[in-house]
Amino acid sequence: MKKPKTLKPTLRERNRYILFQVISEEPIVYCDLESAIWNACLNFFGELGSSQMSLWIIKNLYDEKKQIGVIRCNNKSVTKVLSALGLLNKLGDIRLTVKILKVSGTIKGLHMK
Amino acid sequence: MDFYDLHVHSVFSEGKSSIEEIANIASRLGYKGMCFSEYFRGRGRIEKLKKMIKRTENEAGIKIYLGFEARNSKELTKLVKLRREFDVLLVHGGDVDLNRIAVETPEVDILTHPELERNDSGLDQVSAKFAAKNKVAIEVNFREILINYKKSRSKILSFIRRNIMLAKKFHAPIILCSGAVTHWELKDPYCLISMANQLGLELKEAKDAISKIPKSIISQAKERKNKKWIMPGVKVVE
Repeated sequence: MKKPKTLKPTLRERNRYILFQVISEEPIVYCDLESAIWNACLNFFGELGSSQMSLWIIKNLYDEKKQIGVIRCNNKSVTKVLSALGLLNKLGDIRLTVKILKVSGTIKGLHMK
Repeated sequence: MDFYDLHVHSVFSEGKSSIEEIANIASRLGYKGMCFSEYFRGRGRIEKLKKMIKRTENEAGIKIYLGFEARNSKELTKLVKLRREFDVLLVHGGDVDLNRIAVETPEVDILTHPELERNDSGLDQVSAKFAAKNKVAIEVNFREILINYKKSRSKILSFIRRNIMLAKKFHAPIILCSGAVTHWELKDPYCLISMANQLGLELKEAKDAISKIPKSIISQAKERKNKKWIMPGVKVVE
């Protein structure tokens, strides 16, 4: 399938990467966490509000052992995403809370290693 | 930046987690200090609580303060008399009359959730003026938002937004607290700041509401414990 041309840097959205850690009773897998974060955003901001965030929970950067992950959103909706993360309280029967480690403009800037 | 959460309940009041569990999570989340707000059940419990708090403070490496939450005007008058024996005096908001008494009492530090179980915000411009005059902080309680869903959550959000608007207009202090009952309800300070930002506070104001204002309440409490202190602005000079 043919892809459209990549946009010029000036036309592209500016991204922010949020490094977070899940503190929970039991380990949490990526799929459950992704749906929980999306549900928190959809419930709190609605479909229109969530669409304006350009939310992406990056799968290959989620460390299931340390429970550390990265969320990408645009630069204007960092506070929205953080407030939605604060509303994560339960995942099924597992209680959890989220710790924000860092917010950066690049993945490299998160210093994950 | 130093963050403080001055409204957390442990097993000694309505909470479900022990002091140790809460202190450990709070320290992991990056709080520098926290206050256990308990219900007043006699003077004898104050010393017992103080001992437990001191022990946990050393283990968890976080500053812990003792606060009492008055649930009615009788409790409030009792607690005002014992004001020097603990750090923070909170008033359990929700009742308009109690909200009004709280903001008119200079010994009170925090008026918690003034909109609790109400169909209005629980504050008016007169109360906001008194809160500013007596430096009673109006609380934005995160637990109220967390445990409610859909219609009730949206109502609470609109009431909190109104209280923030009134507090900003009359320069009354605003404080951000988790109001946690279990250690899982404690939230990252940046999540609280972001939520307050969504509700009408500027980012700087929201940061002050979780760091600067609680810090000033704590420094007042330290001043109050000094034997030379008589009342706000008055102390013995030798």
